[in-house]
Amino acid sequence: MDIFLIILQGVPMTIGLTVAALGIGALGGIPLALGRRSKIPGVSFIAVSLIEILRGIPPIVWLFIIYFGLGTALPMLDPLTSAITGLGLISCAYMAEIYRGGLSAITHGQWEAGEALGMGRPSVLTVIIGPQVFRVSIPAAASYAIGLLKDSSVAYTIGVSEIVYFANDQSRQSSDALGPFFLAALVYVIMTIPCAWATRALDARLRQKVAR
Amino acid sequence: MPPHMQQKPLTKPMAIQLDSVAKKYGDHTVLNNVSLSVREGEVTAMIGPSGAGKSTLLRCINLLERPDTGCITVEGSQIDAGTNFTAKDLAALRRNVGMVFQSFNLFPHLNVLRNVSIAQERVLGRPRKEADARSMKLLERVGLADKAKQYPSRCSGGQQQRIAIARALALDPRVMLFDEPTSALDPEVGLEVLAVMKELAAEGMTMVVVTHEMQFARDVCDHLVVMANGSIIEEGDPERIFTNPVQPRTREFLRAVLER
Repeated sequence: MDIFLIILQGVPMTIGLTVAALGIGALGGIPLALGRRSKIPGVSFIAVSLIEILRGIPPIVWLFIIYFGLGTALPMLDPLTSAITGLGLISCAYMAEIYRGGLSAITHGQWEAGEALGMGRPSVLTVIIGPQVFRVSIPAAASYAIGLLKDSSVAYTIGVSEIVYFANDQSRQSSDALGPFFLAALVYVIMTIPCAWATRALDARLRQKVAR
Repeated sequence: MPPHMQQKPLTKPMAIQLDSVAKKYGDHTVLNNVSLSVREGEVTAMIGPSGAGKSTLLRCINLLERPDTGCITVEGSQIDAGTNFTAKDLAALRRNVGMVFQSFNLFPHLNVLRNVSIAQERVLGRPRKEADARSMKLLERVGLADKAKQYPSRCSGGQQQRIAIARALALDPRVMLFDEPTSALDPEVGLEVLAVMKELAAEGMTMVVVTHEMQFARDVCDHLVVMANGSIIEEGDPERIFTNPVQPRTREFLRAVLER
């Protein structure tokens, strides 16, 4: 039981790391998704390249590059900042792809209706297309968020004191090497189940309101 | 001047003028140097077989479709499609044009009232209260004031199309374009939309209607345009064309739609 309580100490860090990275991704994914659709020569190429590079390199490698690589030159990059930066950047790429899917789900008629009403592109994007894209993106974004919650455990490799960090610590100290990890697994499951449940409820509610 | 033009009162100024509008998709010619004039307060119907270019021509009027060449004038705003025009020119032209689509295109995430108000706020800068008051008036006019707080998905197709008409009217357009407004509706439901359009016509709105509703074209419209293969093949007084079409292609088309 003591071990369980110790592992629980990692929960705020896991959640904080996930929320911060997801927040960066939710915002940073917008320009990437729009850039990908851009008709301006070069912009789309740059966006696609960024997305592929961010997604193509494993999270743990990103964290090492940022923490051990950039971190030596930039002393303010402590483990947590490095982890948030790395996972945040990767989230930008994944969220951009989720938004792209959402954008393609919006019928062309929605853009046309806004245009025909004389609304400029910024208005059409912010009040007509954007809110609809966010809504259709919720299920995919939620499963990504749940994945991120678990994948944030890679941050332990650079010393962020999240759930696995404490579990690993306990495993080394006690004779029971596996037990602490089982407890960590339990903590993750307890956190992800309500998340999945909440998103399903949210999705159902939004669907009910604006069923097509 | 062709004889049918003399039947029109020539004093009324032009609301819409299209000069040699052409559009190609690759090798396929969608619009073959089409010219069209619509006078203030006139209701023009565009009919013809599918693929004739009716919808494309209609969408060129507010440049939802950009022609390759040709000049478009609506209520004094002119755009030469062959040249580079600015977003400001485009906004000025669209400012006077309302449009109603076959598939309604209401905004599903906004309730009916917001659907009608949003562009007033964004385009005209009307304060929300004022916009909502105007929207309620228009919703009353199309008989849907009680739906104001509903979402579009809770409304029938006919109701959605009437809301779409209210949404377009909310910006006080001087010209209304209708792109097959009843084609997605049951014949009976279509009637309620046509009733609103008739009222609008009676009030003197300049309208261009792409339609397969022959009765509406014949009874309500002042001017009939028959298109085929990207060109206007015949135009003039609807009654004259319906009873005595000059072009064989018109005759063929009318026989197909009327004698079925």
